[in-house]
Amino acid sequence: MNAFSGFGPAIAAGRSGYGAVSMAVASGRVQLVTIRQESLSLARWRLLWVALGFVFVTLLALVRIGYLGASDNGARGTSLEEALLPPRGEISDRNGVPLARAFPAYALWFNPTALGEDGAPLVRDPAVVAGKLKDIFPDLDQAAVTAQLAAGKQGYIRRRVLPEDANRVQDIGELALEMPMENDRHYPQGSMAAHVLGYVAADGTGRVGMEQVLDAHLSDPATRGTPIALSIDSRVQGALEDELRRGMKLVQAQGGAGIVLDVDTGEVLALASLPEFDPNKIDARGQKLMFNRVTNQVYELGSTFKPLSVAAAIDAGVVRNLGRRWDASPVKVGRFAIKDSHPMGPDLNVVEALIHSSNTVTARLADELGPERMRRTMIDLGMNERPYIELPAKGFPIWPGKKWPRLRSMTVGYGHGIAVTPLHLASAYAAMVNGGIWRPATLRKLGPGEAPKGRRVFKASTSSRMRQLLRAIAVYGTGKNADAPGYRVGGKTGSAEKPGGSAGYRKTALVSTFAAAFPMDRPRYVVIAMLDEPRGTLASSYQRTAAWNAAPIVKRLVPRIGPLIGVRPDDTRDVDISDLKPLIPEANK
Amino acid sequence: MVGGSRIRQIGWALVLAVCFALLLALTFKVNAVKSDVRLAERQIIAAQRAKLMLETEFETRASQQQLSDWNAVEFGYAAPRADQYLESERQLAALGSPRGIDAPEPVRVALNRPAPESDGLLAEWITGEEGDAAPERAERSERHDLIAAGGLAERLASPVAGMASVAEAGQ
Repeated sequence: MNAFSGFGPAIAAGRSGYGAVSMAVASGRVQLVTIRQESLSLARWRLLWVALGFVFVTLLALVRIGYLGASDNGARGTSLEEALLPPRGEISDRNGVPLARAFPAYALWFNPTALGEDGAPLVRDPAVVAGKLKDIFPDLDQAAVTAQLAAGKQGYIRRRVLPEDANRVQDIGELALEMPMENDRHYPQGSMAAHVLGYVAADGTGRVGMEQVLDAHLSDPATRGTPIALSIDSRVQGALEDELRRGMKLVQAQGGAGIVLDVDTGEVLALASLPEFDPNKIDARGQKLMFNRVTNQVYELGSTFKPLSVAAAIDAGVVRNLGRRWDASPVKVGRFAIKDSHPMGPDLNVVEALIHSSNTVTARLADELGPERMRRTMIDLGMNERPYIELPAKGFPIWPGKKWPRLRSMTVGYGHGIAVTPLHLASAYAAMVNGGIWRPATLRKLGPGEAPKGRRVFKASTSSRMRQLLRAIAVYGTGKNADAPGYRVGGKTGSAEKPGGSAGYRKTALVSTFAAAFPMDRPRYVVIAMLDEPRGTLASSYQRTAAWNAAPIVKRLVPRIGPLIGVRPDDTRDVDISDLKPLIPEANK
Repeated sequence: MVGGSRIRQIGWALVLAVCFALLLALTFKVNAVKSDVRLAERQIIAAQRAKLMLETEFETRASQQQLSDWNAVEFGYAAPRADQYLESERQLAALGSPRGIDAPEPVRVALNRPAPESDGLLAEWITGEEGDAAPERAERSERHDLIAAGGLAERLASPVAGMASVAEAGQ
C-alpha cells in the first residue's frame, strides 16, 4: 500500500492533465486488492475457528471415552443378590408350593401435574383416554375414570397392573398415567389357608396368621431369601376346604372348622376355618371373618370326648372287662338328670355305649374314674391351657378350675362343662391313637427326627384298644357315614347343643363334630370336621346330628387326601376287632 | 543417561508410550467386560422377575378351588378305590389269563432297538472273526435278552412265557 502511494504524487507531478484519471484507476485497483486481502484473512480465521471447534469436540469425546473406559463407574446400583432378594420372604407349603410371595408389581397412578402445573393434565380428551384404558382393562368403570381424569384429581386408577398391560398403557402416550413399582404380597391360591397365612397390612407388617408370627424372619434381609416351609400340604388343605364348604352349604351351617393332623409329629397338614376371607383383598367383610374357629373359638365338643373318657378309664384300670354291663338308666345327681338322647336298653357294655354314644354309661364310667383322675387326664391332654400352635389367635378353654365336683367329672366325661378348641380335640385324639404320646401341634414343617418328644398320656395298650373301639364305632355305630371304604377310618361323632337360651342350652343350635383317625391299623392322621349350627335339610335327611352332616364330610375327604399323603386304600387290611365283635350285637346279626 | 544418545531416549519414550497404550487398552477391555456382566445381570434379574410372575400366574390359575369346581362340573374325576391298586407284579399277573386256543395274536407294540451293526463290526474287528455270523448271533442274543429280562407285559403276551408266569404266580 505504501508502494502505490509513493508513486502516486510523482506521476501526478509529471502529467498533470492525464495524471488525474490514471490516479483514480490506480486507487480503485488498490481498494480491490485490499478487500481481497481482508476477505482472505477473514476466511482463514473462520476456518481456523471451525477447525479449533472440531478439535475441541474431538478432544472432549476422547477424554470422555478415556474416562468411561478407564473408570469403572457404571451404574453400580444394587448387586445381583440384592436385586433378586424378595421384598418379603416367601411362605410355601410342605412340598414347596408357594402360598404367599412378594414381587414387584406395577400400579396405575394418575398424576395431573406430570405435564406441568398449569394447563390440561392430559394431551387428549379425558373420555378418549378413559376409553383406551377400558380397552386394556375391560372391567374398568369408564365413567368413574373419565370423571377422575377430567377433575384432575391425583390417585390410583388401578392398584395392580400386569406387565403386558403396563406396556399397553405406556403406548397410550399420556405422561400423566404413571406406573409406579410397588411391592405386591400375593396369595396365589386366593382364600385357601387364609387363616393359617394371614395377610400383610398396608404398613407392610404381617397380621393374623403366620405372616404375623414370622414377620421378623420374613422381613429380615439376611433370612428372607429362603422360603419358609409350613407343615400345610396345599392339596390336603384344598380338599379339606372344598369338602367342608360343600358340607356346610348342604346343611346351611353358620360356619365350619376342620383339621388334618399328623399323629406322630403334631404337624398340621390342613387347617380350615369357614367362612374364609381373601388375603389378597382385605375389606370390611374379610376383617369380620378373620376369626379362626379352629384355634380361637372354644366349643363344648360333646360326645367326641367319650372315647377320651373311656381311654382314661381303661388306662386307670376302671374298665378292665369290656364285657361288663353298665346301667344305662338316667343318672340323677342333685337336681340334674343325665339322660340319653334315645333309649338304648337297660344296660350296655362299654363298646355298645361308645357305638350308640350313651351319655349315661359314660357319666357312670367317669364317676367311677373320679374327678381327680379325669381332671389329670384332661390336663395331660392340654385341655387346661391355650392350644399349642404358632398362630397368634389362640382361645383359652372354658376350664372348670381346680376342684371338680362329682357332677363336673360326669359331664366332662361326655364333653359338656368344658369348652375347648377343635385343635385341642385333634391333639388329644392324636395322643389317643398314636400309642399314647401327646405332642404339641405345629405349623412348621418338621424334618425327619425333629418331632418333639411329647409326653405320655395313655399306655400303649390303651391306645391300641382305643383304635379298635374307634374303628368299631365307624363300622357299627354312629360313625358309619364316615367309613370310607378301604381307608379303615375310625372316629366318634359329637353333637353338642350350644349354650344360651332360657334352658341353658339351645335345643336347635348344635355344634356337630366328627373326630376321626385313619388308617386305624396304623394311625397316621387325625381328621376333625366340625359344623357350627347345621340345619336339618334334605341332604342330611332332616337331621342335625354329626352322623348326618360332619361324618359324611370325613367320608368324602379321606379318599381324596389319603393317596396324596401316603395312605393307600386297602380292603384286605384292617385293625383286628374280632375280640370286640362278641360284645357288639350288630356285628353278630 | 544424561549423555545417552537421542535415539535411546526416543526408544524409552516409545516403550513407555506403548506400555501406556496397552494399559489403556486393557483397562478398556476390562471395563467393557464388566459392563457386559452388568448387562447380563440385569437380564438375569429381568428374567427372574418374569419367571416369578409367570410361576405365580400359573399357581393362581391352578387354584385348588377352581380346579375342584371344574372337576365337579366338567371332569368328574374321583379318588381311586381300593380295588384299583395293585400290590405287586403277582397281582398284576393274576389279572391276565392264558391265551385261548383259537384266540387271535395279541397286539404288539413295535420295539425300536438301535441296530447292533457297530457293535458287531467292532467285535469282528477286535476278534478278527468272520463277519457273516456276527449279526445273526447278535439278533438271537437280543431276542433271548428280551424274553429273559423283558417286562411282565412281554412275558404275558408271549403264549409260552405267559403260561409259565401265570403258573408261577399260581404256585
